[in-house]
Amino acid sequence: MSASSEGPSQIGRPLPRREDRRLLTGAGRFLDDIDIPRALHATFLRSPHAHARILAIDSAAAAAMPGVVTVVTGQDVAQWTTTLKMAPPIEGLMPTEMTTLPIDKVRFQGDLVACVVATDRYLAEDAAERIEVEYEPLGVVADTGAALADGAPLVDESVPGNRLSHQTFSIGDVAARRSEAHAIVEASFSQHRQTHMPIETRGCAAVWDEGREHLTFHVGNQAPHPLRTQLARRLSLSESQVTVVCPDVGGAFGQKIALYREELTVAALARQLKRPVRWREDRMENLQAACHARQAQCRTRASVAADGRILGLELQITEDFGAYCFFPGNYIARVIALILSGPYRITDYAYDIKVALTNKCGVGPMRAPMAITSWVMDGTLDAIARQLGLDPLAVRRANILQPADFPHKMATGEALEDVTPSETLEAVVAAIDYEDFRRRQAEARAAGRYLGLGLCSVVESTTYGSAFYKAAGIPGSGHEAAWVRIEPSGAVNASVGLMGSGQGYETSLAQAVAEGLGVDAGKVRVALGNTDVAPYGMGSRGARGATAGGGALYLCGRKAQDHVLRIAAHMLSLNNAEGLRLAEGRVQRRLSDEWVDTPIGLADVARLAYLDPQALPEGVAPGLDFSLAYDPPPMTYSNSAHACEVELDPETGRIAILRYVVAEDCGAVLNPIVVRGQQQGAIAMGLSGALLEHVFYDEAGQNLSSTLADYLVATACELPNFEILPMHTPNKRTPMGLKGMAEGGVMGAIGALTNAVNDALAPFGVVADRQPLAAPYIRGLLRSRITRATTASDGPVG
Amino acid sequence: MNERTAIVLSVNGVDHELTVPPRRLLSDALRDDLGLTGTHVGCEHGVCGACTVLIDDRPARSCLTFAIQMEGHAVTTIEAVARDGVLSPLQQAMHEEHGLQCGFCTPGIIMTFEAYLRDNPDPGEEDIRDVLSGNLCRCTGYQNIVAAVKKAAAAMRESRA
Repeated sequence: MSASSEGPSQIGRPLPRREDRRLLTGAGRFLDDIDIPRALHATFLRSPHAHARILAIDSAAAAAMPGVVTVVTGQDVAQWTTTLKMAPPIEGLMPTEMTTLPIDKVRFQGDLVACVVATDRYLAEDAAERIEVEYEPLGVVADTGAALADGAPLVDESVPGNRLSHQTFSIGDVAARRSEAHAIVEASFSQHRQTHMPIETRGCAAVWDEGREHLTFHVGNQAPHPLRTQLARRLSLSESQVTVVCPDVGGAFGQKIALYREELTVAALARQLKRPVRWREDRMENLQAACHARQAQCRTRASVAADGRILGLELQITEDFGAYCFFPGNYIARVIALILSGPYRITDYAYDIKVALTNKCGVGPMRAPMAITSWVMDGTLDAIARQLGLDPLAVRRANILQPADFPHKMATGEALEDVTPSETLEAVVAAIDYEDFRRRQAEARAAGRYLGLGLCSVVESTTYGSAFYKAAGIPGSGHEAAWVRIEPSGAVNASVGLMGSGQGYETSLAQAVAEGLGVDAGKVRVALGNTDVAPYGMGSRGARGATAGGGALYLCGRKAQDHVLRIAAHMLSLNNAEGLRLAEGRVQRRLSDEWVDTPIGLADVARLAYLDPQALPEGVAPGLDFSLAYDPPPMTYSNSAHACEVELDPETGRIAILRYVVAEDCGAVLNPIVVRGQQQGAIAMGLSGALLEHVFYDEAGQNLSSTLADYLVATACELPNFEILPMHTPNKRTPMGLKGMAEGGVMGAIGALTNAVNDALAPFGVVADRQPLAAPYIRGLLRSRITRATTASDGPVG
Repeated sequence: MNERTAIVLSVNGVDHELTVPPRRLLSDALRDDLGLTGTHVGCEHGVCGACTVLIDDRPARSCLTFAIQMEGHAVTTIEAVARDGVLSPLQQAMHEEHGLQCGFCTPGIIMTFEAYLRDNPDPGEEDIRDVLSGNLCRCTGYQNIVAAVKKAAAAMRESRA
């Protein structure tokens, strides 16, 4: 065989996923599919009150129920576990601390009160209903307005005024820009509370080996090693005494990162009872009490020139963080503020971020924690267009960064390079035929139909290097670790610290190893999710899988190839490995312009390395075992432009999505099938969230959306097909030019949809500045306009 | 509530003698008593569709069905769809079209459409989306599932022709 190709041969191939077969035949192995002999079942009693003191708990009747092994409360679990302190040294952020289960008071409806362990789940739930709790209800703060009011009840007595975090920033002179501006444009963006809703709820199974004093903890988690660190620390065990094992994971989206209180309780109980204990939450618990996300109010004030150019921009964020901090309270909102300007040229910029505690479920990152960013930025551009009577596209073109502007430093100091915002914008505008749409829109309006088109450009922060964490003051790192082992037969095993929950890692990461090593991707097995097997890595979050994880595996594969070729050169009696490569497992030699097979392959080298080490070159150790850690640049960015066409039914307020086009430049890709699936899934999650999903609390802090009949997630009937225009400008600083992606779709969808709805609403003179864009809300906007118009006697509108 | 009743549960053509409490869900009996863990439980209130099985060849929610109701009925689960290790046309098309990501909702979707495509060999996109709306998928955005169902329908029509 000979070949002359020099480009990538394994990455970029549309390989069908190798994990599919087991999942398609019912042979996947999710947490509840693991058979654990003698396992007991835990269930939790939860608070019916949003905020109440626990005066007394009587569990005698529950403990006497059939099958019940034990009932424990916060006091019990506090003896076996340490508290969670969240106190990074970040200016403006209050430290917090929580016990594993609440002891004195509950802070939200669904908060934990007690845990029942029984021989089966039905019996455990029976018993939980028999626990008598005496509560003294306390005043409730159910939103940030109530939480930040003077004299508000305190969610956490150690956080004065419920003010968890307050950070400000200013560069340039926004006041001066205001004074010299042609116009000041103010806009408001209210994002509602949502939740991840993985189809597989949370759960875990803890097996304590009393003889070895070792805990094996089965749990679907995105970051197994950081979870192990937490679990060991809080059980006062060494990290050698805990193994975290992740089975197949039925979706995560950020919900499966933190060590939750239920999980820690179950682990502690397995150790105390010396019996395996397992827990599976039901859907109501998942919707009420797992983890919520996204609830933030943003306001912008733009100082603009007559042509719509932004001279100065000010941002205020007020975020509702819920009752407990599983993550530093400032970090989500700070990323929004950090990357707000994204694809636009903004020099004078200031922000003010307040984060408040409320009597609601704690929040955490959800696929694109910074999802609101692009809506706020492109929504501000639309507000400028409305106020100045300009075309929204013209305002974008006046502000967007051009190819000659790169590398670019955002006002916040974030470095942008190898991104293509003007190219993606123009591609999407051409694909959706913006000019023709305006013609169709005018025709439709004349016929009493209301179409709208929304644009949204996205700069997605995908991969955070350790330098970012250091600068942000957040403990942790952005590096990732990998190993590659070539076994004596030439079989290739590899591992990395990520854990998948549907991203197709077993296929795409095998491609990264194969590219680096020079074998066929089908020959590489990637083992994930077992902390005794995988190297300590930072796990799957953000969109770091490809760049950090794939990058580490690729570089480790390269290191392995270099070593293999050094041995191969010796076997071929060559002085060095120059002019040799490994391709599809064959050692090839370059002869003029051709790569030509030599008689040896990887299996020959492996046999020698393990079974005949005396034949190795001098100084080369036996075996073929490689490991490597890779720390990505401080931040890596992908970019995209989204265009969404909707039709509004003014009678009902219903929004129908007619067309959706996205141009996305996510650099080199490991597997285009997987990338396309991630793009579709991310856009779907953004649209579903902006249109339907709503974790809704009443003013007493009662969650009114704790079934899937109330918490509405988009079905196949609400979502369109997505037209994707792929672009692949490589990043110069990352292995193979990878950038990562998978969250930008959420960011763009939220903005493009809302901008489209406002375009459709324009003839009525109303603006939707709140999500979800549910029919009753839109209908309410239209009615308020009609009422006002009638009162003012300026005739019918529309 | 916890007294047990003897029943015969016919699953994938095999009769199983079980003693179950009347409140035991079919989903739990399949998974925990028979070890057929391919049927997944996503909400236990009949919305998400992950637990869909066939009862007498019709799709049904096994989380809304008690095991004792199944006396005299035939239950089919995802484990019986591939024959002799060969994927069904729908399973094959789901693989080729990347119609699954985490795979948790997938068995329910396959059971829904194995039944549907038997009765509807040439469905249009709107029909497919309408039927699919009974199954929630949080990963894919549904587009590739719709494509897979179309592809499977075409493959099945061809093999019949």
